[in-house]
Amino acid sequence: MSKETQLHDTLEQAQSTQDARMGPGVDDRFNSKLRQAFGASPFILTKFDAFMNWVRGNSMFILLFGIACCSIEMMHTYAAKHDLDRFGAGVPRASPRQADVIIVPGTIVSKFGPRMQRVYDQMPEPKFVVSMGSCTISGGPFQEGYNVVKGVEEIIPVDIHVPGCPPRPEALVYGVLKLQEQIQAGESAPVTVKPYELEQFGDLERDELVQELASEIDEDDLVMRYNWAESP
Amino acid sequence: MVELLPETVSDLIGIEGFAVEFLAAIVGAAIIGTIIMLQTALAGPWAKRKITAAFTDRISVNKFGPWGVGIIIPDSVRLLSKELIVPEGADRPAWDLAPLVIASSALLGFAVIPMGDLGPINFHLADPEVGLAFVFAIASIASIGLVMAGYSSNNKYSFLGGLRAVAQNLAYEIPLIIVGISVVIFAGSLQMSEIVAAQQQTLVELGPVAIPAWFAILNPFAFFLFLAANMAEVGRNPFDIPEAPTEIVAGFQTEYSSVYFVLIYLGEFIHIFLGGAIIATIFLGGPAGPILPGIVWFLIKIWAVFLLTQWLRSALPRVRIDQLIEIGWKQLLVLAFLNLFLTALIVGVLAA
Amino acid sequence: MSLEQPRPELDVGETPDGEVDYDELAELLGEYVLDRESHVNAEGFVIRPDDVVAVLDILKRDAGFDNLSCVTAQEYYDRYESIYHLKKYDDPTQELSVVVPTLRDEPVSQSAASVFDTANWHEREAYDLVGIEYEDHPDLRRILLPDTWQGHPLSLDYNQDQPQIVALREHADPMEHRSEVPDEQDTMFINIGPHHPATHGVLHLRTVLDGEQVIDVDPDLGYLHRCEEQMCQQSTYRHQIMPYPDRWDYISAGILNEWAYARAAESLADIDVPEYAQIIRTMSAEMCRIASHLLAVGTFALDIYGDFTAIFMYAITDREKVENLLEDLTGQRLMFNYLRLRGVAWDLPEPREEYFEKVREFCTYVPERLEEYHNLLSANELFQMRVIDTGILPPEVAKAYGCTGPVARGSGIDYDIRRDDPYGYYDELEWDVITDDGCDNFSRAFVRLEEIRQSARIIEQCVDLLEEWPEDEREIQSNVPRTLKPDADSEVYRTVEAAKGELGIYIRADGTDKPARFKIRSPAFCNLQSLEVMAEGEYVPDMVAALGSLDIVLGEVDR
Repeated sequence: MSKETQLHDTLEQAQSTQDARMGPGVDDRFNSKLRQAFGASPFILTKFDAFMNWVRGNSMFILLFGIACCSIEMMHTYAAKHDLDRFGAGVPRASPRQADVIIVPGTIVSKFGPRMQRVYDQMPEPKFVVSMGSCTISGGPFQEGYNVVKGVEEIIPVDIHVPGCPPRPEALVYGVLKLQEQIQAGESAPVTVKPYELEQFGDLERDELVQELASEIDEDDLVMRYNWAESP
Repeated sequence: MVELLPETVSDLIGIEGFAVEFLAAIVGAAIIGTIIMLQTALAGPWAKRKITAAFTDRISVNKFGPWGVGIIIPDSVRLLSKELIVPEGADRPAWDLAPLVIASSALLGFAVIPMGDLGPINFHLADPEVGLAFVFAIASIASIGLVMAGYSSNNKYSFLGGLRAVAQNLAYEIPLIIVGISVVIFAGSLQMSEIVAAQQQTLVELGPVAIPAWFAILNPFAFFLFLAANMAEVGRNPFDIPEAPTEIVAGFQTEYSSVYFVLIYLGEFIHIFLGGAIIATIFLGGPAGPILPGIVWFLIKIWAVFLLTQWLRSALPRVRIDQLIEIGWKQLLVLAFLNLFLTALIVGVLAA
Repeated sequence: MSLEQPRPELDVGETPDGEVDYDELAELLGEYVLDRESHVNAEGFVIRPDDVVAVLDILKRDAGFDNLSCVTAQEYYDRYESIYHLKKYDDPTQELSVVVPTLRDEPVSQSAASVFDTANWHEREAYDLVGIEYEDHPDLRRILLPDTWQGHPLSLDYNQDQPQIVALREHADPMEHRSEVPDEQDTMFINIGPHHPATHGVLHLRTVLDGEQVIDVDPDLGYLHRCEEQMCQQSTYRHQIMPYPDRWDYISAGILNEWAYARAAESLADIDVPEYAQIIRTMSAEMCRIASHLLAVGTFALDIYGDFTAIFMYAITDREKVENLLEDLTGQRLMFNYLRLRGVAWDLPEPREEYFEKVREFCTYVPERLEEYHNLLSANELFQMRVIDTGILPPEVAKAYGCTGPVARGSGIDYDIRRDDPYGYYDELEWDVITDDGCDNFSRAFVRLEEIRQSARIIEQCVDLLEEWPEDEREIQSNVPRTLKPDADSEVYRTVEAAKGELGIYIRADGTDKPARFKIRSPAFCNLQSLEVMAEGEYVPDMVAALGSLDIVLGEVDR
């Protein structure tokens, strides 16, 4: 299958998901009790969703997170000349519990990967990731290094990639604005607890839940494989 | 004696009885609470950023509304809609109560603050005879909240932050109150309205301008002592060590997210405003001022104190915990007692 | 004149005109010396692996080699080799390499950590990356790679394609590591970093606290180990290596780092650089130093003051100015890739007068601005209260740990490669080496602030020279062959004064167009070792301040 047809299929799938969401409920992932009560396409909820997307797209606290070269340009982006705060995104929080966006500014190496995943896990939903610089896209100039993770996407999901080595502050501002646009359009949907998950796990005790989830985990997932030969 | 706010409300309702009085008190408290919350909503997500930006040559938020003031809506809604993460091993009731304690203790303090009038309405909820004692007592409950937040989070940074907060509050509560007592000696009363009334006399006439006998003018020494102690009490630079971000991440609030974080954040700002309100009441003549209505003057005064805290935050380094304690116990306390002694002496001599 | 330096009485093996008399040294060491090698920078004495302590001790005590600049480890087809690059703090032009070959089957060598404290981390790194084991080493474990790593990546038989399986369990919870002081009940173990606002990147400090006091701190590195040495070893001399130095010390000290590589490679391949290019190099390097020191001061203020306050923002604003100048010159804001082996990439931007005008304006602006920084920082009583007499680093300790740059100068050690081992155009210019013998956090910040002023002075003189340079003699590059292939088995170790201190490069050529071994001596790596001395017994905020005053940059520490 060629790239184009693949892309087309994906688009079509997305289209059909949207149909499923709007039409008479087929996919029960989107059928909360509230939606059922208000009908398939409740005005108030779509307006509410739109409002929440607008809210999330216009105000974000950013995690104070510096890794490598790009963090210098990130500081410049916060500071006087470029002033990311103009777009409501310039409050750095030191604690991941209070941050919405994590900008990953630099090379991830095998030792830091798990730590970064932990930081990401500590952030509350909805959370967004901007990967800054070539290293976070593919490993950048250090791609061939024995210790370098080939892109941050191997570890955490990314919403926006900002290429460059390092990207200029203007590029980062543009990236953050694109992220805001994406969130406002509802495209970068926050990962939330789905109603079906509540249904499935809601009445399990804590221990049972852990066991239930543990039985689903593949042993291989528990190791961080780091294999340059098979990496894309 | 001016009518208090609950009485105004019950007069409006026009029926006598305990239930109505109770209702009126609630409505009055809601009005005062709303006014204060409005100030903090303005200060927290917007004014703080704009003021800091002005100090650091930036623009800061400017997208929505005049000077970007519209950012308040997305900011607050977004914060409230975040996921609330409860850390594993958190000491549950304490962990949940702490933000409430921090926010509500500061808010309660406003019950006795005379906030001035607007036409026939006098924004003053209650005027007990021990008003000043009440406000100091209530304001220091917040440190219990800080300890609770610190130890119950099951996080070492929080723990350090909580410990620092207690040490700091202990060291500065006492000078604060002792300086406060010197004002009481001047005014001869603990009642807030009396303290305000005592500052209304004219000290000197300079041509057409009458300088009022505000205690800040009568005793600037006490005023500056109180300002410094108050800055430590509300935990702002140079005394913001309980949440020093570059040392202990975010101190006692490290583990809080979403609503609880908002409550703590609010609590801090209400606390700053309460500090400002106490300063305004006991040193700056409360709501007194020419032409404009009292409430406006009151707000101007508390915002001036807020501005001062932000100014210091942008310009002063943070002291170390041991230095802070030393300043508190060894210098400020001594000076506070000196001030008290001198005041007592002068007032005694004048009275004799 | 400032560039002169007082000469104490002669050490053994020192000629009156400041040269090393290797024969006398060999005589001093007697039968310890098995063989003598000739490196481009100095001679190398080959010794037995179990004589390391004895030889280094003699050289340190009797011959005055008090600076163990670097330890290079490498693997040959028939042996392993550790090279101890020795220098003198009094005169860094006097160098000596001590070469310690070990068997291929059993790479065990004596540790030098009992003679030079700085050898501790260097040997751990050698063990980690190359696989040489050091006997009697106080703490021989991996330093840059995870403990679970299999193999030694810079050894010859390392297979990079073998999957490294690191169980997440072993890495998932950093709180798992418990206190190393189990007997004392009153202590608390706390992990500072790898993600923490005060660590300036991804440094992990495993700290044991007693109340607020630090009683033990163990820096854990390697969270940004980007295989820089491997990258350089698989790149060609002429063009491919040059972009990497920019990324070692990424706080826009790019040209300073590039110069380190350029200096080493140029002396290895015997390339001349036109004088005109040297002046441009000097000017642009000093611009980088200003940018780097500004950020150091800004982040130091950030550590002391709290949030992103005025000083930090002012520093960034001024950095924007100098970055604009550098961008005009090199086309890049941060990663310049401007130097070439033999010169610089291109001439000054046209119109030249306009550029000179801008640079001059900046040079007059810098001293005015410094007054403001001094008002905000060094004249601020609260600031003085915080930083004076905290984070003490006595000069002897600084020397033992191989500290260089502003850290050493803040401890009163009068040591600056630009003056003592001149390169570029520095010896023709009028400037001062700033030292301060406070030995505390304040002196280090103060030295940096004053160095900004000196750098501005240097830039100004460079501009004068460049402006008067005759138009037909503006030679920016000399001629070199298209492919550089230095002679096989030639070795060189050269240092320059980078923003953080002495940045050294060791290159061994094997006759191809790529280096066989490329070793980076990072100043921040050595400076960071002294944190333990500075922090222990101090309060947490002072440790944070000490870390800020060291001005480490993790890209360079971990490489």
